Amino acid sequence: MNQVIVHPERCVGCMQCMAACATAHSRTRQLFSAIRETPLPKSRIHVGVGLYDEGFPNRCRHCNPAPCMLACLPGAIYRDWRTETVLIDPDHCINCASCAMACPFGVIRYHEDTSAPPKKAVAIKCDNCLERQQQGQAPACVEVCKSGALTFEDPSKALKRKTDQVSQSISAGFDIPQGSPGLTLLNTIKRAQIAVGKAA
Amino acid sequence: MSSTFHLQTITEDGQLLLKKAQADQIETVWDRHQAQLPQCGYCDLGLSCRNCVMGPCRVDPFGEGPQQGVCGADADIIVARNLCRMIAAGAASHSDHGRDLVEVLAQVAKGQAPGYAIRDPEKLKSVAAEYGVETLGKDILVIAGELAYAMQEDYGTRITELALLKRAPAKRREIWKKVGITPRGIDRETSEMMHRTHMGVDNGWQSLLLQGLRNALSDGWGGSMIATDVSDILFGTPSPKPTSVNVGVLKKDQVNIVVHGHNPVVSEMILMAARSSELIQLAQSKGAAGINLAGVCCTGNELLMRHGIPMAGNHLMTELVLSTGAVEMMLVDYQCIMPSLGQVASCYHTRMISTSDKARFPGMEHREFHPENAEELAKTLVREAIENFDKRRKVYLPVEPVQSIGGFSVEAIVGALGGSAAPLIDAIKAGKIRGAAGIVGCNNPKILHDYGHVTLARRLIENDILVVDTGCAAIATAKAGFKMPDAIQFAGPGLKEICGALGIPPVLHLGSCVDNVRILMLASALANALNADISDLPIAGAAPEWYSEKAVSIGAYFVASGVYTVLGPMPPIAGSLNVVKLLTEGLRDVVGAVFAVEPDPEKSAILIRRHIEERRKALGLGFHTL
Repeated sequence: MNQVIVHPERCVGCMQCMAACATAHSRTRQLFSAIRETPLPKSRIHVGVGLYDEGFPNRCRHCNPAPCMLACLPGAIYRDWRTETVLIDPDHCINCASCAMACPFGVIRYHEDTSAPPKKAVAIKCDNCLERQQQGQAPACVEVCKSGALTFEDPSKALKRKTDQVSQSISAGFDIPQGSPGLTLLNTIKRAQIAVGKAA
Repeated sequence: MSSTFHLQTITEDGQLLLKKAQADQIETVWDRHQAQLPQCGYCDLGLSCRNCVMGPCRVDPFGEGPQQGVCGADADIIVARNLCRMIAAGAASHSDHGRDLVEVLAQVAKGQAPGYAIRDPEKLKSVAAEYGVETLGKDILVIAGELAYAMQEDYGTRITELALLKRAPAKRREIWKKVGITPRGIDRETSEMMHRTHMGVDNGWQSLLLQGLRNALSDGWGGSMIATDVSDILFGTPSPKPTSVNVGVLKKDQVNIVVHGHNPVVSEMILMAARSSELIQLAQSKGAAGINLAGVCCTGNELLMRHGIPMAGNHLMTELVLSTGAVEMMLVDYQCIMPSLGQVASCYHTRMISTSDKARFPGMEHREFHPENAEELAKTLVREAIENFDKRRKVYLPVEPVQSIGGFSVEAIVGALGGSAAPLIDAIKAGKIRGAAGIVGCNNPKILHDYGHVTLARRLIENDILVVDTGCAAIATAKAGFKMPDAIQFAGPGLKEICGALGIPPVLHLGSCVDNVRILMLASALANALNADISDLPIAGAAPEWYSEKAVSIGAYFVASGVYTVLGPMPPIAGSLNVVKLLTEGLRDVVGAVFAVEPDPEKSAILIRRHIEERRKALGLGFHTL
């Protein structure tokens, strides 16, 4: 079964996944109208900043067992067994923040949402874009990611690809693929820039 | 939370004021930079394009996603187009600044600019002669009118070559001609650059970059050079004068007025008003000891160079200067004025005034200056600043100012050398001075504030390399104390001996960022004296903390003029290794100079020393191998 897989080395920090996520969870599903909605739709994927100003798309891992689910007193958090997706029922959420305290990845937020009763802040997190998936679409974050940092595929396929890459890299005479030489150059300079500031 | 202010700026006033700003809940440029992280990698690589509405497009740097925009432009084309548009914007900024000065010159000639005058008639005559304007027996104002007209032609399309190119060594002009980058008209090159980067015009990344160089040359040997020359004509050619720098130049007991921006057209009038005895008496009647005018950024540099007006700080200090609570009024014209300033000022009693018809800012009162009303409006505004004095609340001025000397125009340097460049050339030939380097450009919150400028200047003078600097770099090294004659204690033995004998500092303040053309003229004078090209000289340029499009244009005209130039921050070009390679290697065969990128100023000092020694070797002068 396809899942969203994160390839952190490919994240260029453009945050397009965040805008696409917020739009996919808006009422109108269109960027230009979504930014005028009340409540304003918010992203469930969060691009953080690493030690060297590089981006990292942080999203729900849909853990199993899920610490958030175990911590949820009203039982608002449940698993969709068909897709392995951890979901939150906004009607049962009491906004107590227990799930956020339990979450090791900090991916749960509290705010009003078009899916929740009006004027009520609820716990919000990634829902794997199940609605889009039912229509045969990939999750919104994956669809907009042009650098390959987010893919939607069978994990076994992604792991096989990685295994082959590692295997090839120990073949005699093999040049290790550099990924993107340009991005490597830019990141090298950014690291130097930050190191200079700290050493001074 | 432990303070990280020492990771933001090396300056004592900066660190103390950052603490004050935090207590006052002022958001600064550093906070906003932090909030932007991570910054978009496509844009940082130069791989995003918004030039048309088939897009916006971006190219996947990993080679799997899209490799071309909708129009078919690949990474090389997109990166080149984006960089060229940066050059066009930078060249346009300097050149439009120059145009404003030419318009004042024309109005002075017509007698329609009260308060303005020809303060350096000798320079007027010599520049007029370069433009082919007959000066003999003519009234000064007639010459001014004809010169303004001739300069306006430089902005147009009727000429085929800019008038001031003649100042460049013949060998350099020959290179420009051969490569096909002789700038024809100032506005023409910018206009053509924008045309070429439109969808479906120039899609050769090499030819785009060559037009980028021509566009930059139209700034360096056109717009900026006119700006500097006309400023000298209208306000006086700078000569060395004592001044003082850092936020301590603001006075607890005086009415503090700060000018910010670039063009001396407004700030010179404010200075005249601030010196009028009538207004000084008014200030005294309000309980102030006097009127204290200070500058930040380049309009401050313009006043510092010509009048020794003190300098409160450079680019990253502009918000913090307001957080002293000691500024009665800040007047801005244009360029590098953060739109956040109005909001910062609203926390204090400071009145913010925008003055240019082409530059408005939130939270500022707009009082437009024109040559015909400038003298009167300046007096009115200084009066209003005085009236604001008693609204001042708590003032925080935590440091004492550092003493400095500014005002080294080329004319002044030649004067200090005793009338010709020969003593400098002799010192270079003898190896007492290994060479010279220009440190220019801005501040950038990505770089520890002032660390790049100060560290590089320190290392270069230690290595007997004479430093000339401008803009925010010049303010940084002044704050570090490098611009006093006793700073020779930081210099190597040879530079110490020469500067000591001449009584000059080892780091010379050449002015504002348009005054980078003074560096071009100094380099041309050296090249002509040695019958060489600029690229043959043991000189280099550096922009350790640059941020602006103007700096891209400056860097490009330095390189196109034959000056090896080391940048601190990386320009947005890493998405195309072809463009990187051309700018850092390929241009050597085209214009005899290249760019380098090195964020660590300790290492860029080594790059510069190595380049200088290589040039010494090629010239047959004594050299060291590094």
